[in-house]
Amino acid sequence: MTMNDKQFKDKLLMYGADVRNWPKGIRSLGLKALNSFPELQKLVEEEECFERVLRTRQYEEPDGDLAGRIVAAALPRKKKVQRKLGAFFSDVFREFSLSRRALTAVSVSLIFTLIIGFTIGFSNPSGYTSAEQYETRLEDFLNYEGDVL
Amino acid sequence: MAEIVGPGDGRQRDAFSLDHGGRQISVDMDVKLLHLEDESLLCRIQEGSHEAFAILVDRHSNRFYRIAYRLVSSRDDAEDIVQEMFLKLWGRPNLWDPGKGAKFTTWFYRIIINRCFDHHKKKKLINVPEDIEFADENPGQDVLFDMHQKQAVLERFIRELPERQQQAVNLCFYEGLSNNEAAQIIGVKVKALQSLVMRAKTTLKYKIKQYLGGGPR
Repeated sequence: MTMNDKQFKDKLLMYGADVRNWPKGIRSLGLKALNSFPELQKLVEEEECFERVLRTRQYEEPDGDLAGRIVAAALPRKKKVQRKLGAFFSDVFREFSLSRRALTAVSVSLIFTLIIGFTIGFSNPSGYTSAEQYETRLEDFLNYEGDVL
Repeated sequence: MAEIVGPGDGRQRDAFSLDHGGRQISVDMDVKLLHLEDESLLCRIQEGSHEAFAILVDRHSNRFYRIAYRLVSSRDDAEDIVQEMFLKLWGRPNLWDPGKGAKFTTWFYRIIINRCFDHHKKKKLINVPEDIEFADENPGQDVLFDMHQKQAVLERFIRELPERQQQAVNLCFYEGLSNNEAAQIIGVKVKALQSLVMRAKTTLKYKIKQYLGGGPR
């Protein structure tokens, strides 16, 4: 099986000027044709020249770290959506780098403090002012005859 | 990029640093994620994993930027398009349907390319002065031409190609993708893709030769 001029030219356009990089199936045919017909070398050189021109096309690398900017832009948006109480606490735990045991101890002590506080607040016998006491004090105030100022 | 910082809480994790305008963003991530394929990362993203998203972006943002740049010829626009599309993926990860069987890169290339053409339609073509002197005393010796002029003309020639031919040239020649992958991205058969590449190159060769003063062959 051989490759004629037309086929060789088509393959050049399809796969490029470097015949050694052509797909396996047609590479050997291309190299064989190139060795057998020296005039094909001119087509290869012409293709190389054309590819050099194509490679002069302008290209600019992205400015700075594109990936970093995208990741940073995605972070707050998703967090707002996904924020849950559990996630919030786990973020706080991570932020303060406390172990689970220490956090449990802190949480339990806080809960106990609250319970004790409420118990004292509701039962408060000393701070309680009865209506009778209140009236007496009001009466004392109204009957006060000393200097006001 | 990835520097292993130790087992920490028992899992091996990587410090994944991203530079954001001089500000370092550190994404602490599970090393296992780094070795996952794109499609598995996408499943994690659908579960809300920002780490998986960061890896996917870091792995592919440059390649998608390259094709976007080739299609819009502007660094800022190309960056905006890539960022916009990745953020869209992050906001709506279920847009990716693993059931359809397409590779992530194939699917996302298609998205980026479509977005670039939409963007391009909204903008006018780059104006290249028609009176630029291209003829040379030694046809073929293009090295003497002003680089910017040459680049502008080449850009215009490529832009004048039909959309599919542009895609074929950009994906196969500039991005070096296989014919198979490029065909899948454009949504044509391999034979059709080869035909697109051939027609595009033939047209470009003809136009370049004309400008270089060699005339059609």
